[in-house]
Amino acid sequence: MRSEEETNQAVERYGDTVRRLCMIHLKNEADTQDIFQTVFLKYLLHDKPFESGEHEKAWFIRVTLNACKDLLRSFFSRNTVPLEQLTGQADQLTGQGREVLATVLALPQKERQVVYLHYYEGYTAPELSRLLGKNVNTIYTTLARARAHLRETLGGEDHG
Amino acid sequence: MDEQIREVFGQLHAGEAMKENTKAALDRARNRRRRPVGYLAVAAACLVLLLAGLGGYRYYFTPTTYLSVDINPSLELGVNRFDKVVSVRAWNEDGQELVDSLELNLLDYQEALERLVASESIADRLAAGELLSITVAGENEAQCGRLLAGAEACTAGQENVRCHQGDVEELEQAHHAGLSLGKYQAFLELQALDPTVTAEDVAGLTMRQIRDWIGSLSQDADSQGKGNGQGHHGEESHGYRFGQS
Repeated sequence: MRSEEETNQAVERYGDTVRRLCMIHLKNEADTQDIFQTVFLKYLLHDKPFESGEHEKAWFIRVTLNACKDLLRSFFSRNTVPLEQLTGQADQLTGQGREVLATVLALPQKERQVVYLHYYEGYTAPELSRLLGKNVNTIYTTLARARAHLRETLGGEDHG
Repeated sequence: MDEQIREVFGQLHAGEAMKENTKAALDRARNRRRRPVGYLAVAAACLVLLLAGLGGYRYYFTPTTYLSVDINPSLELGVNRFDKVVSVRAWNEDGQELVDSLELNLLDYQEALERLVASESIADRLAAGELLSITVAGENEAQCGRLLAGAEACTAGQENVRCHQGDVEELEQAHHAGLSLGKYQAFLELQALDPTVTAEDVAGLTMRQIRDWIGSLSQDADSQGKGNGQGHHGEESHGYRFGQS
């Protein structure tokens, strides 16, 4: 079991990443809080050492995505929340920011995930392929589709 | 577009409340995980205390030596290794009455004997010339010797008191026969002289009566030849038995 110092550091270091991943999957504050705690509880009990900070971060991403998927699998049909209710989770954003976020969140789930991990976390397609356990070509395709969808709404050029 | 996306996500953070709630949940989980060990330790400590308590109770309340007190009230004091009375058992009705009238538990054995000898029931009988027999039996010879000497010392002023030592085997046989040890020893002496005597015959007799019976039988045996003495003292003994009991 990890010490209080370790878990507190992890909450500070990876809290934002976990929160954002939850948001692009869950769209609901209560579920986000649940998954957020679940992920760090798993970390508390995960005794194996990590090879590096990158390794640790990848572990958090994988665990968060799996936890979200588990939750969606059991609650999806009953608990889908309309996009409009999302505002509660994005209070920090300005008007334009909200529009961008709404656009990203309107993408199919697979695309949302790679958009966040690629654009924000900076993972390349081969890295995403390892992280998500998918074929690298599938990742390229998903990314391309996501870009096309985003461009339709947001316009402008992308550099990814 | 890339920049916009980065900017938007960069503005989203895990709220302080969410982080604090999670830290608190982690603390709770950490303590919950630890508690079973705590419970186990407490349970183990309780068990040790319980066993120690039971062991101590047994150690203290197990008699190691028995004092058989017979006059006609017959009773037996169980004495623990610290020379304290931990059990009192009456062997006949008179004995039960006497036991009920006195509080002997946890007294030092000498004090218990003094109280018994001073009790009305025994004092009156001693004054009337009855015999009081105190018999000590136990596995620990040192304690038996000590208790015998103690019993002799605290009854030294009494003329009609006899102190004897017995052994554990005899004690068990006595209990099997339904007699207290003191009476059983006298019964054995009597039976050696007259094999027809049974334990029931002596159960209701006082120690004086048994002693007198033994006395009369041995006198007969001394004064008459073995060949023709048999029928006579057998007859007399029966006469005595039915006359007195």
